[in-house]
Amino acid sequence: MFQYYFLLGVRSLRRNPALTALMVLTLAIGVAASIATLAILHVMSGDPMPSKSDRLFVPLVDNGPVEGYTPGDRTNQQLSYKDAYNFLNSKQGERRVALYGVAAAVESPKKDIGMFTARGMAPTGDFFAMFDTPFLYGQGWSPADDASGADVVVLSRALSEKLYGNTNPVGQRLTMMGFQYQIVGVLDTWDVVPRFHRAVGRNSAFADEDEYYVPFASAIRHETEHNGNMSCTANTDPGFQARLASECTWIQFWFETRSAGDRVELQSWLDSYASEQRKLGRLMRNAPNKLYNLMEWLDYLKVVGNDSRLSTWLAFGFLVLCLVNTIGLLLAKFSVRAPEVGIRRALGASRKEIFQQFLVESAVIGLVGGVLGLLLAFGALALIALQSKELTIVAHMDWLMLLLTFAMSVTAAILAGLLPTWRACQVTPALQLKSQ
Amino acid sequence: MLRMQNLSKVYRTHMIETHALRGFAIEVKQGEFVTVTGPSGSGKTSFLNIAGLLEDFTDGEYVLDGINVKGMDDNARSRLRNEKLGFIFQGFNLIPDLSLFDNVDVPLRYRGFNRAERKERIEDALAKVGLASRMNHFPAELSGGQQQRVAIARALAGSPKLLLADEPTGNLDTQMARGVMELLEEINAQGTTIIMVTHDPELAVRAQRNVHIIDGQVSDLARKTPSLYDTNAGANAHVA
Repeated sequence: MFQYYFLLGVRSLRRNPALTALMVLTLAIGVAASIATLAILHVMSGDPMPSKSDRLFVPLVDNGPVEGYTPGDRTNQQLSYKDAYNFLNSKQGERRVALYGVAAAVESPKKDIGMFTARGMAPTGDFFAMFDTPFLYGQGWSPADDASGADVVVLSRALSEKLYGNTNPVGQRLTMMGFQYQIVGVLDTWDVVPRFHRAVGRNSAFADEDEYYVPFASAIRHETEHNGNMSCTANTDPGFQARLASECTWIQFWFETRSAGDRVELQSWLDSYASEQRKLGRLMRNAPNKLYNLMEWLDYLKVVGNDSRLSTWLAFGFLVLCLVNTIGLLLAKFSVRAPEVGIRRALGASRKEIFQQFLVESAVIGLVGGVLGLLLAFGALALIALQSKELTIVAHMDWLMLLLTFAMSVTAAILAGLLPTWRACQVTPALQLKSQ
Repeated sequence: MLRMQNLSKVYRTHMIETHALRGFAIEVKQGEFVTVTGPSGSGKTSFLNIAGLLEDFTDGEYVLDGINVKGMDDNARSRLRNEKLGFIFQGFNLIPDLSLFDNVDVPLRYRGFNRAERKERIEDALAKVGLASRMNHFPAELSGGQQQRVAIARALAGSPKLLLADEPTGNLDTQMARGVMELLEEINAQGTTIIMVTHDPELAVRAQRNVHIIDGQVSDLARKTPSLYDTNAGANAHVA
């Protein structure tokens, strides 16, 4: 019978084209608005690395001055070089990564491009394994390269193609910041969203991919300027070496543990580290030492702003409005069908069968609304993406969202159809047939 | 085929009670062609609605083809209606946006026949009423008489035992009415029991038996208007 009802539903779309079009449009607009905002929220708040997000931890210790400190104040979001250095050598967890943002003048081997500035990152070698970065050519650098601060570089796919076209550049030398770097690997497109591994700093969670990666130790050795957020609470002597010795925080750090449960062990190590440092006269605020796993970290940084959530709620409010409208339109559409209900009842349809028929008909409207809603949602996302480059990366749909659009539209239509359908079932066949 | 005993139907509003039928009793045998007459408001339509399981009755007993229908739920009544009964209405009551084929298909869908059987039955039924060649037309493309024929085909397609007709010729001109009437007689001759409500005395006398309803009760009309029944007065013996 479902097939029969479905056919009747499709046929019924043509019965009153204006009313049908109005209903489909109302539903589609409501669904499109909700889906577009939900798609953005979904991408922004999704778990970017479900396989190990509960095993990746950001450690924070508060190295600010005691003066002017009230317990409970927010800690810095990064580490000083001292702490990062100690953490790297701590042998805690399975992997440890310290990183900071850099920018380099790149001398292109192609004459027609000339010199340009590229945005990069200086992580330690565990970075590639910790974050499962996809390699197109070659690989990351070795622990020996880390130890010696070797001048090696991993390029992003985009930068590699810009400099070398589609050829494998591994083994070539590239001049950056006046030094010669040997290319050891090229990453494939790595479109993880949000860019949690380097989320500190305004909008950096949704920024473009980094263009190259050089060893942390190499960047420190060359005194490569830091490109990103830095927080200093005391006067610091000028110069790179002074910064390394200072309490300025500018380095982001990650621990990877073997299991989520190892967090307890890591926390107690962190606490004992802090008390050791206090004996040396550091970390005098005695603030709680924090560990954030990946999702807690994104939450702590408020990567998904409250306004994103609010706009999603608003969009759903709008959908409810559209639903109420659709209910009204369906009531009108179904009420003129009373004679048909009477006839069908007389010919042997039970109330239940009439109920099913009209509900399927509502669902058909929802399905058409879903198709149109999807088109509108794509349009809306394209428009949003046009507004700012940062939104381009989050304004896209995945299969889940696509499916959700249809599910939502059909569910919405069925919900809207419940009351009108129930009303249609109440038709007393005898009365209808007499009045004809 | 159909037996009602001491049946009553009361419509209640918060102010008044209206007795549409009271102490109503009738028996119709298999294969009969019974016409029902009576003034407006006498309860003819209530009787037909109750007989057709479209309306519930207040009290009494109603046995349809050996099945006591009292207290049946909506599903069971709908099923029974679908299997045993065919309806023909004054206003034809075809579904305007379905083709003739699909209109006749409606009761067969609810019966649950497979596609092949439905197709065969629809084609047979439409052939029986002489409209086989127009099965892809829509009701609006037909004359009133043709529409009523489609309605008859729809009523017949499920091979009902009892055909209930409410003024089937009321909206038709004399010539078309005659055609429809002849068709009904033919159907009756093939074994289908027919109960037909009509205002038309001429049609009433054509049936084997006429039942007159006044004030919600079957009245023995033989004495009051004998002129109508002199042709087959003997048939009144069936009225209980």
